[in-house]
Amino acid sequence: MLSYTIRRILATIPVMVVVALFVFSLLYIAPGDPAAVIAGDQATPADVERIRQSLGLDRPFLIRFGEWLWQILHGDLGTSIFTNLPVAAMIAQRVEPTLSLMAVTLVIAICLAVPMGVVAAWQADTLIDRAIMAFAVLGFSVPVFVVGYLLAYVFALELDWLPVQGYTQISEGLWPWFENLILPALALGCVYIALIARITRASMLEVLQQDFIRTARAKGVGQTRILFVHALKNAAVPIVTVIGIGVALLIGGAVVTETVFAIPGIGRLTVDAILRRDYPVIQGVVLMFSFLYVLVNLLIDLLYTVLDPRIRY
Amino acid sequence: MRNGAALVWDMLYGVDGKLQPRRQMVESEEVSSDGLVWTFRLRGGLKFHDGEPVLAKDVVASLARWQARDNMGLMTKEIEQELVAVDDRTFRWVLKKPYPKLLVALGKVGTPSCFIMPARIAATDPFKPIGDYVGSGPMRFVRNEWVPGAKAVFERFADYAPRQEPNSWLSGGKHMLLERIEWIVMPDPATASAALQNGEVDWWETPIADIVPVLKKNRNVMVDIADPLGNIGSFRMNHLHPPFNDVRARRAILTAMNQEDYMRAVVGDNALWKPLPGFFTPGTPLYSEDGGEILKGPRRLDAAKRLLADSGYSGQPVTCVVAQDLQITKAQGEVTADLLRKLGVNVDFAAVDWGTNAARRAQKSPPGQGGWQMFHTWHAGAVCIDPSSYTAIRANGDKAWFGWPTSAKVESEITAWYDARNLDEEKAAIARLNKAALEDVVYAPTGFFLAYQAWRKNIDGIVKGPLPFFWGVSKAA
Amino acid sequence: MTDATITTAPELIRAAPELPDLLPPIKLRGGILGFARRYPAIAIGGALVLAMVLIAVFAPYLGTVDPTALAPTRRTREPSAAFWFGTDMLGRDIYSRVLYGARVSLTVGFSVALLASLAGLIIGLVSGFVRWSDGIIMRVMDGMMSIPPILLAIALMALTRGSVGNVIIAITIADIPRVSRLVRSVVLSLREQPYVDAAIAAGTRTPMIILRHILPNTVAPMTVQATYVCASAMIVEAILSFIGAGTPPTIPSWGNIMAEGRALWQVKPYIVFFPAVFLSVTVLAVNLLGDGLRDALDPRLAKRL
Repeated sequence: MLSYTIRRILATIPVMVVVALFVFSLLYIAPGDPAAVIAGDQATPADVERIRQSLGLDRPFLIRFGEWLWQILHGDLGTSIFTNLPVAAMIAQRVEPTLSLMAVTLVIAICLAVPMGVVAAWQADTLIDRAIMAFAVLGFSVPVFVVGYLLAYVFALELDWLPVQGYTQISEGLWPWFENLILPALALGCVYIALIARITRASMLEVLQQDFIRTARAKGVGQTRILFVHALKNAAVPIVTVIGIGVALLIGGAVVTETVFAIPGIGRLTVDAILRRDYPVIQGVVLMFSFLYVLVNLLIDLLYTVLDPRIRY
Repeated sequence: MRNGAALVWDMLYGVDGKLQPRRQMVESEEVSSDGLVWTFRLRGGLKFHDGEPVLAKDVVASLARWQARDNMGLMTKEIEQELVAVDDRTFRWVLKKPYPKLLVALGKVGTPSCFIMPARIAATDPFKPIGDYVGSGPMRFVRNEWVPGAKAVFERFADYAPRQEPNSWLSGGKHMLLERIEWIVMPDPATASAALQNGEVDWWETPIADIVPVLKKNRNVMVDIADPLGNIGSFRMNHLHPPFNDVRARRAILTAMNQEDYMRAVVGDNALWKPLPGFFTPGTPLYSEDGGEILKGPRRLDAAKRLLADSGYSGQPVTCVVAQDLQITKAQGEVTADLLRKLGVNVDFAAVDWGTNAARRAQKSPPGQGGWQMFHTWHAGAVCIDPSSYTAIRANGDKAWFGWPTSAKVESEITAWYDARNLDEEKAAIARLNKAALEDVVYAPTGFFLAYQAWRKNIDGIVKGPLPFFWGVSKAA
Repeated sequence: MTDATITTAPELIRAAPELPDLLPPIKLRGGILGFARRYPAIAIGGALVLAMVLIAVFAPYLGTVDPTALAPTRRTREPSAAFWFGTDMLGRDIYSRVLYGARVSLTVGFSVALLASLAGLIIGLVSGFVRWSDGIIMRVMDGMMSIPPILLAIALMALTRGSVGNVIIAITIADIPRVSRLVRSVVLSLREQPYVDAAIAAGTRTPMIILRHILPNTVAPMTVQATYVCASAMIVEAILSFIGAGTPPTIPSWGNIMAEGRALWQVKPYIVFFPAVFLSVTVLAVNLLGDGLRDALDPRLAKRL
């Protein structure tokens, strides 16, 4: 178990190096002069020349990559063209809202989606099942900002139940923090809920056909207990896998959600950077999010052994 | 950032609601009878945010920084004999030539305003942004809560010594009734509107006109014109590069453009706008329509096309930089793109944010190398009442505002206005200036429009002005 | 899948069957009605997609005007007989813009599906047949899959100028790893099949094996995958345009129309509403088609999802 954990952690290192290499080489694969891209649209020829010097374009690619990676390992993600601030500091300043949003979304989505999937599987082929699955397909098809505006309109403007924008730091109290995140989390979670509900239903359907469920029924175990304890536990692995993979959807969606709900997080930073063509910032954000994604999936991999004792390594 | 700057830094003088400069940090000034020697005395008890007293040497350094950046500053620099600190509270400014508009220059609203900062900060490169925000104004900039592009926080500076007079715009007692101001940037007007209606924010500086009807319906929200002097929409062309280095190409634009299209796109169907066949604020004494025929009457696309062809334009891409995050620039940009397409111009539509637009317009290099041919902005009507801070009307080539127009006629009329001895002479100079500026197309005015501001009912003391004045504003529970 | 690398397996629901048999023919027994009854998802999804394609192709003949023509004098008009979907902030006709917008969305969706399938097919085949390249290719794919697709597309768009072509390329690149992995898994499982073994033993050349045995078997899973790629590409395009990193604002795409209308969603909700409905319906249709095809082509999975 311990050796597996260590091996598993070590195995993420090459993946992360490949991510870094890929993100690094994007700049050189893209058409045009990398120095001009880094310098931004408004740079003078002198600026571009200065940046070309600092990029060291005359030296071998791998050496430049090595140096860049070395900087990143020391927490240096470069400098924003626009604000002249270190990218790492800009990201650090906005990390809390984004992580909060993602965490709340994750919790809300799981709490809603898993029961939905379980019920759909239990009531397979009934109206309830159809309704839940119809919602799931719909959840995939409606873009996140449309959901966001709808929610804001109904719950913030018409009903005036929840705030419509902004972010309150968690240090200012749990409820104010949570209150601000409910609507964005629901909007962001829509696709995610659809995804998890579908996979839960599928996985549950498979498990419910198995012998031990029949045995449990025969023994007179209650329906709720069968569904949520016996069956769900055995259906957990694919669900957890999808939860991990779906984090990529969350990250992409956070960029939009933060714009719609004016949350000053990393997603907003990304959108601002796009319009400013502030490539170093975008590069930093992509790296950071990718590492986050890899980490989440590493954790989930490690979780398997806990969830399913049959999996032994 | 100008609006925040007015909180953080105080000025020697400040204009009041009638655009007259009033003493602010200065206690008294003396001017020699020949108008050449100015001696200023600072008020006592002035402090910077780091607790250090404001000394004459700080003022001298701040003035030098401002002179390098400002048009009127440059003018004073050119005629300057010496500018020295006499003692801690007194400084002397000796000029080679009288400069009657000196106090206007020191107290003007138009950027760059003459802000007073500690000498060590003022001494840094005037064209680089400062990295140290120790100011002299009524509010302190809370740097560690600053999220660039999202939020800026200001806290009351307890040691600020306000004047005793009632406040008016940038003058008088800047008594802060608010302990803390949070400045929030919302990328989305819809979100901003909802936040104001829900009471999550208290004051919205620039609600877009289309949303105003919704705000007016809300009982907790007040909506009013932000500034009675309004704004002048501006379509700037780059006079350094083809096609707009040729006056015929610029005239083609004036011949073809329809100000109504621009104004309706910017502020909508209501009575908030009027056509502006000139460059000066309507309703102010110097307003003139001389030479405005080119902007009036039915639009002549064919004539414009001929002018363009005469200028030698033949389908080269023309870079139009359009800031997407401001409704006023975005709307103007879209109308221009449409206009140019109708004229057969090959438009290269560069969608950016305002920050990039602001940086890019400073590039003199050719459009292929970071430069530009067109961008849009707007000027506060308060600035466009006369040439004193109206940098956008200047036509002194390299030293002029972005676009770098050159027009000897315009420049000589500006001088004529400075030399004018009475209002009639001023009016005559401005009428000639207006005509010359339209002939040489310093820039293309897209019309005159009023903008709104909106605030929660529990906020008191909000006044109409070219920028939000927070002093005297209070918030009831 | 590969050994101890990170679980960036294709999303399960988008995953293809692990070992598809030869493409089971979809029989047209009982005419169109019978087909529709047996495969309602394909019928509904297909019909809607076809309708959208027709709308896109015949947009100029469906009572539209120039979708980019400004008319600020009649801006923000509510939907009416003259302007079926109303007009936007610059007085452009939203009906025309939405119809023409279908062209952008469908072009992006179909192109990305096609290009990603082609590229994925080639990469998957190479990594399935050229043993030494497999490790390298799969490491690169693992890395790429660890970058959230929308962010990867954003990064690519930041490096280039906004244009429909660049949007297509950016989304395609972000989608390639999923398709490649799918093709590779099909190739690897087929290689173990006795009849493929036999063919190799009999000295059949690799191109022939690919043509005879591999390609026909990849068609089914790839078609299903392609529909999902198409659907997600349309959403990603809308998102990119919405945040200002996609189709240039001068081109009417659904994402752009919504981006422009969003400031007014409270006052003039129809500006956002119409493109949102069209986009959602189209994506829904493509997703339905994908689900239907998957059920029809792989009965084993049909029960599961």
